[in-house]
Amino acid sequence: MAARGQRSGAARRWLVVALGVAVLLALPALIGALPASDAGTSATDLRDRALASADVPFSGYAQAAGGLALPVGDQLTPVADLLSDRTTMRAWYRAADDWRVDVVSATGETGVHRDAGGTWTWEYEEHVASRAAALPLALPTAPDLLPSALGRRLLSEAADEELSRFGADRVAGRDALGLRITPADDAASVSRVDVWVDADSGIPLRVQISGGETGGSEPAVDTSFLSLDLTTPAASVTAFTPPPGADVRRDEQQADLLATGRRADAVRLPDSLAGLDGRTLDGTPGAVGVYGRGVTLLAVSVLPGRAASALRDTLLVAPGAVVDDVGVRIAAGPLGLMLVDGGERRGSWLLAGTVDLDALAAAAAQLPPRRGDR
Amino acid sequence: MIAVELAKMFRRPRTWVTIALLNALPVLVAALLALTDLAPRPGEGPPFLSAVLTNGTLYPLAALAIVLPLFLPIAVALIAGDAVAGEAQAGTLRYLLVRPAGRTRLLVAKLISVVAFVLVTVLVVAAVGYLVGQVFFDVQPISGARATGGTALSGTSLTPAQITGRTVLAIGYVTASMLGVAAFALFFSTLTDSPLAAMLGALAVLIASSLLFTLDAASSIAPYLPTRYWLAFVDFFRDPILWRDVVRGLGLQAVYVAVLLGAAWANFTTKDVTS
Repeated sequence: MAARGQRSGAARRWLVVALGVAVLLALPALIGALPASDAGTSATDLRDRALASADVPFSGYAQAAGGLALPVGDQLTPVADLLSDRTTMRAWYRAADDWRVDVVSATGETGVHRDAGGTWTWEYEEHVASRAAALPLALPTAPDLLPSALGRRLLSEAADEELSRFGADRVAGRDALGLRITPADDAASVSRVDVWVDADSGIPLRVQISGGETGGSEPAVDTSFLSLDLTTPAASVTAFTPPPGADVRRDEQQADLLATGRRADAVRLPDSLAGLDGRTLDGTPGAVGVYGRGVTLLAVSVLPGRAASALRDTLLVAPGAVVDDVGVRIAAGPLGLMLVDGGERRGSWLLAGTVDLDALAAAAAQLPPRRGDR
Repeated sequence: MIAVELAKMFRRPRTWVTIALLNALPVLVAALLALTDLAPRPGEGPPFLSAVLTNGTLYPLAALAIVLPLFLPIAVALIAGDAVAGEAQAGTLRYLLVRPAGRTRLLVAKLISVVAFVLVTVLVVAAVGYLVGQVFFDVQPISGARATGGTALSGTSLTPAQITGRTVLAIGYVTASMLGVAAFALFFSTLTDSPLAAMLGALAVLIASSLLFTLDAASSIAPYLPTRYWLAFVDFFRDPILWRDVVRGLGLQAVYVAVLLGAAWANFTTKDVTS
């Protein structure tokens, strides 16, 4: 009798515990299944709202995951890491020229502070603060991967007929409307770009870029806000003063780029390459050409002989590299990279962009000969 | 009953030997750093260790970071795993239960004494770290016109008061992080009569959790791993403080403690006590 009472008591207790565990396990799934309401906004209207959101202040927490294994040597390691790793970012945005993005890691962080004159980059691990002027053309850094920045950049040049709507979802706990770009250019290697736009403020909350070898289910780049707050952050949060004892430097990237440009000023680049029209960017050095529009872009530049031979060695042994008379080319997801050999003294052409390998080869054939070839 | 359990634990030499051993490693590390002047490169080694050569005020945090991944959980699992199974093994459990207080209260008393152990241990590690930091390393002036405090991870300067406040928060957070381990060990302790088995069970859970956390394939379950947010105490030293992981870490530990204590209660209150 007593034993039976004890047994039923035990069953009751275990039932209570099991029910509690079941509720706790179901909570995340239930929250995730909250339906998102889809306003009937048209694709072009949604694009316009996203572009107009550049002056909406916010603070947020975002994660970007890249699946692109970029086969480049030591010089471009930060860029390669950015496109192949998971990057966790905190962002405070007051205006287009007043923001801060911190890349946080388990034991340190790297913060980029933008002000009217340029950017301060603070690296905790190195204890270095470096100042750089605002560049019209620069290598991608973590702030470029923020969904708001990336989404607006990709949407800014999309043609109306490339845009379409798809459903709605909840991103960072907010209603987000789906907007898809399907590039129309023949040379395009990006098959589609999905942008989730905040129904409330127009800020792009999530961006997925698909295409290339990894095309299909896995996006090549996936960046998303995990939380977003639309209150204006304090000016003291985005401002930066190098702390005492820090190593203060000037960023030399621009100088390097301009030096490369001056050396190759004599070269005149064609007006179009592989069917993509050239575009002018103010302040771009002469030997750097940018072609294309929207998500289909091709950059061409002269690479000094030393840098070129190091990159060529890396590219030649990379899996999937195509080597022929013109040069060596390779695709990492939707990103294509090609080195057109010019020999040790003359330097080489470097072509990089979101175009397929055939377009890279076609563009390489249209490039003018380097000085020494004549 | 709670007072009895607390007194019993802190009267045991083993408790203090455990705490002393736990402090040995940070002291040894500090001595080696001070003798060789070779700090790990920033970004390598435990958090904050690279900064202590220039600012000894941060050594309590470095000491906690040194013991956090392995030594502290071992100590907590040792004490918590012993809580019930130790009594069973020594043959004293049935005498304890003869008292009219009830099994649930015994379990609560055991839990509170384990929490007290965690708190005392973390405080002693931090206090020894503070003393070691003052003795072995340069210390920024705490008061006066040239008081600089230190630099946050975000590159802003923190006042000495801010550093102190955030260190206290970090100590509290590390204590809370250990509660999940304690709950695992306490639950296993009600399952078995062997304290060693209970401790190893809890450690097995932790090692599995740490391993899964490093695995990309397990990223979908990573937010639920008990060790997932342990390092979030570093977030107190960002500016502004990044509360996201800290809040999640506290919530996760609370869930583990609630579930495992519930299981321990369901198991223990109806268990046949034979020893």
